[in-house]
Amino acid sequence: MNLQVIGCSHHQSSVATREQLAFTEQQIKPFLDNYYSKFPNSEVVLLSTCNRTEFYTAANKPNSVPGKSELIEFIAEQRGIAATDINSEIFIHQDRQAVEHLFSVASSLDSMVVGEAQILSQVKQAYKLAVETNQTAALIHRVFQSAIRVARRISNETEIHTNRVSVPSVAIGVLAKQIFERLDNKKILILGAGEMAEETLRYAIQEGGKDFTIINRSIENAKQLAMKFDGRVGDWNELEKELATADLVISATGATKAVVNSELFDRVEEIRKQKPIFILDLAVPRDFENSISDRLNVYLYTLDDLQKECERNRQSRQSHYPKARKIINHEADLFFNEIQRRSSGSTIAQLKRQADNAKQLELDRLMNRLEGVSEKQKSEIEQSFNRLVNKILHPPLKSLQTESPQVSGGLLEALKKLFQLGD
Amino acid sequence: MNWLQNISITCFAASYAVVFALEISRIFFDVSFRKYVRVGFAAAGLFAHSVFLVLQGKLVLGSNGLWLGSWFGWCLATAWILAFAYIWISARQPKSVIGLFLIPLILGLIGLGVGFGTENQFNSIKAKSIWNMVHGFALLLGTAIVALGFVFGVVYVVQSRRLKHKSPQSKHFRLPSLEWLQKSSEYSLVISTFLLAIGLVSGIAINWTNQTDDALSGGGTIAWSNPVIWSSGILFSWLLLVSVFSFCYQPSRQGRKVAYLVIASFLFLVLELAIVWWVGHATASSKSEVAQYSKIPSISKEFHNEVGRLRI
Repeated sequence: MNLQVIGCSHHQSSVATREQLAFTEQQIKPFLDNYYSKFPNSEVVLLSTCNRTEFYTAANKPNSVPGKSELIEFIAEQRGIAATDINSEIFIHQDRQAVEHLFSVASSLDSMVVGEAQILSQVKQAYKLAVETNQTAALIHRVFQSAIRVARRISNETEIHTNRVSVPSVAIGVLAKQIFERLDNKKILILGAGEMAEETLRYAIQEGGKDFTIINRSIENAKQLAMKFDGRVGDWNELEKELATADLVISATGATKAVVNSELFDRVEEIRKQKPIFILDLAVPRDFENSISDRLNVYLYTLDDLQKECERNRQSRQSHYPKARKIINHEADLFFNEIQRRSSGSTIAQLKRQADNAKQLELDRLMNRLEGVSEKQKSEIEQSFNRLVNKILHPPLKSLQTESPQVSGGLLEALKKLFQLGD
Repeated sequence: MNWLQNISITCFAASYAVVFALEISRIFFDVSFRKYVRVGFAAAGLFAHSVFLVLQGKLVLGSNGLWLGSWFGWCLATAWILAFAYIWISARQPKSVIGLFLIPLILGLIGLGVGFGTENQFNSIKAKSIWNMVHGFALLLGTAIVALGFVFGVVYVVQSRRLKHKSPQSKHFRLPSLEWLQKSSEYSLVISTFLLAIGLVSGIAINWTNQTDDALSGGGTIAWSNPVIWSSGILFSWLLLVSVFSFCYQPSRQGRKVAYLVIASFLFLVLELAIVWWVGHATASSKSEVAQYSKIPSISKEFHNEVGRLRI
């Protein structure tokens, strides 16, 4: 099996190069069609995400996959750019390295945020598109199915995916759950209608949040966000009233100074009567005065607090990296052993057949020359011939099975030549 | 079923001790099958505990119905309710380490029971009265629920303090949400008030029925000078006040204040029980009475030996 991957990722390529090589889903299919027109004897998968574009090519016969420069020329031609512009930022991995790389990518060990869950679905999507284009791509099937299985194994056996690392997911998925048992009966107030507010709101809805009100100085933006998530738009002038009834506040306005100061919150507290409130102040500068966090039953978290938690979680994920690497190495061994077993299977069968034929010819010749041999003696002689053949074949076959794939690959070739076996 | 007769305090106390050790180990490392082992040991402990209470010492059920026997039986029965609550909480909040707070209470109660021993037998003649059974059962359940509320309150304070100080949550030391703890504390407060009210009313009824006909013809009185009576009255008044206060004054039933109230209620209860024990309420006061009750067939010789051995 000949497998290679060439491409670019956030590790060694600039954003400009990654942008030049990025493919949309609609662009992938024509690219794959063009690839098969030019290189019909190989198989290909194109994986394109925000941080990487990778071309996995495979073939059974040696020299059937295009070389690095040939493939770069082809890609550059397809993208309408000069090959020299990207050549220095393109990496290449072959055979075992390529397999280990794919396993790492699918398990998100190679991602910018180690442990992010999205990459596996992107790998699956790339595999699906490749199979749709070339349904007989047996090598691609084998290597990508293994990669998906390895990613699942790492997810199950390590905690690399467990700790959340984005601010909105930590805020809602971790902290809100420590305060509230459920979100579906809580009043959620969103101050601001920007990207951070939207992303946090999305998580709150995922966790069951239903009753939310959006307040923004620009009512149009609030309306748009409310329409998107089927929420209610509140009046900025009624901020006190809204705060008085809210259980969870997500605040991410672009205000240049605090929008909720201590005096305002005093008035809110008079109505709230110390009902617990969880405030996520995701704005910079902060929307809530810091002294508010000293109040009884007020849990105020700022962007800084959340980022510290995210960093801790990132480090925790990194601590599981060695265990995941070990799994990848082990799985790569298993993968190549399996490949080797499959490819040596037909050669071994051929060798056994050839030996059996020779044995049978000699046995028939001997039996014709011998006279007065009883059936029992015939059987003894036949068993003796069988044992002889088995004893001769056993050492080379055992070596084929026990040696590493690299060594046994050479042995297989030698065996074919020595015994004059076909492919 | 002779083997059931061999179940001793050591059996279930050891089971709970293993559960506690497993709870502690949760802080340090993860093992996927531990939760099954933990709940399994707790269930095994509860089974042994139940058998011991019912068969071995006849501590819960006497020949004429419910009879808690002694301070020893009282402590063990309270521990049984808390152990049952532990399994229930483990099912409701499987990831939380609330057992770290609850199991020591269970073990403490068992230890306290062993410390009391069987000398302080309750008066079995009194125990035959229906009022005594109601009195004993309501106070027992009320006590256990106040103790449970105390655990919820303490855990609430720990969790709230951690969140206030923005300390990171360790994946090995997870506690239930504040909302769950607050609700559980509220329920324990209301239910325990109700049960202790029943206990107090039935106690008054016992007091009246035990008075001589002469005293009753004189109108009947409650011995308010008796420390047990006045301390029970104070405890009930406190719980009633807290419940009414919570109902009428919203801030008192919000967040950490509920936790403080249930913790204070528990401290009141401990004080009350200490007074009851000190005065020797419901126990046989003279040695002759003790000797008489120790001949009760339901309290086996082996059981006395077992308790005596544990005390050494």
